[in-house]
Amino acid sequence: MFPKLDPLLHSELRLAVMSILAGVDEADFTYLKKQTEATAGNLSVQIDKLTTAGYIMVEKGFKGKMPRTTCRITPAGQEAFSKYVEALKEYLSASK
Amino acid sequence: MTAQQSLQLISESFNKSRKDILRGSAKYFMFWGALLTVTSLAIYLLWHFTGKPQWNFLWFTMPAVGYPLAALLRKNSAAVPQNEVSKMLGAVWTVFGAFAITLSAIAVFLVPMRVTLIITIIMGLAECMSGVLLKNWPIIIGGFLLGVGGAVFAMLVTSEAQLLIFTLGGILLLVTGSIMKLQYK
Repeated sequence: MFPKLDPLLHSELRLAVMSILAGVDEADFTYLKKQTEATAGNLSVQIDKLTTAGYIMVEKGFKGKMPRTTCRITPAGQEAFSKYVEALKEYLSASK
Repeated sequence: MTAQQSLQLISESFNKSRKDILRGSAKYFMFWGALLTVTSLAIYLLWHFTGKPQWNFLWFTMPAVGYPLAALLRKNSAAVPQNEVSKMLGAVWTVFGAFAITLSAIAVFLVPMRVTLIITIIMGLAECMSGVLLKNWPIIIGGFLLGVGGAVFAMLVTSEAQLLIFTLGGILLLVTGSIMKLQYK
């Protein structure tokens, strides 16, 4: 029996955001937007979903006089991401 | 998305940001390399043509000018995040800077010592460690040669020409930055 894939992570943009955040301390909104090539509106919506699930933390602040939104992955997010990758590997090894 | 596509997306996103981060670190190697090359050459030429070793006090202008400029460079750059490797690289060179500045000040004001010899060795070590972190053999070998070769050179050459070791060190930092830019293109 295959493990169930986390539906929250099984979306292109949310998975891209989680993949970036899994490898860094934190990343700001502008950086995530540039890396994922998503629109600001869509990215905001997906970040909200990940925040509500407790997978990421969002901090609003300022860099100089400019507003800055910073995102970082939470331990729960890290765990969910690892489980998701493990599940994907199982799917792939079974299909070989 | 299929499992294959998901894994590919994860791998691409992860690698893309990793490259971005390390390319971001490259500019600091190039900045400090250029500053070290210019400073060491200027002091060497001034000392050589005037015969006055007091020009060595100009070394203290390097951190005084370098740190504010590096902060400005960071402020004006697009916000690139940090990962474990970039943090470790920053830590290695911060520790090197702290040792170099403190030992130079002690040598000038308190206990005379062979500063060129000591700083060449620790600079070679820092460069070597950077190569280990970046998993890059040319940088490891370059750092090793700078540390060991520079130490021998500093023992054999006692004139102002020993400052040229630092010019070589500066060029090595510039090369390291260029290698990183190419490696993480």
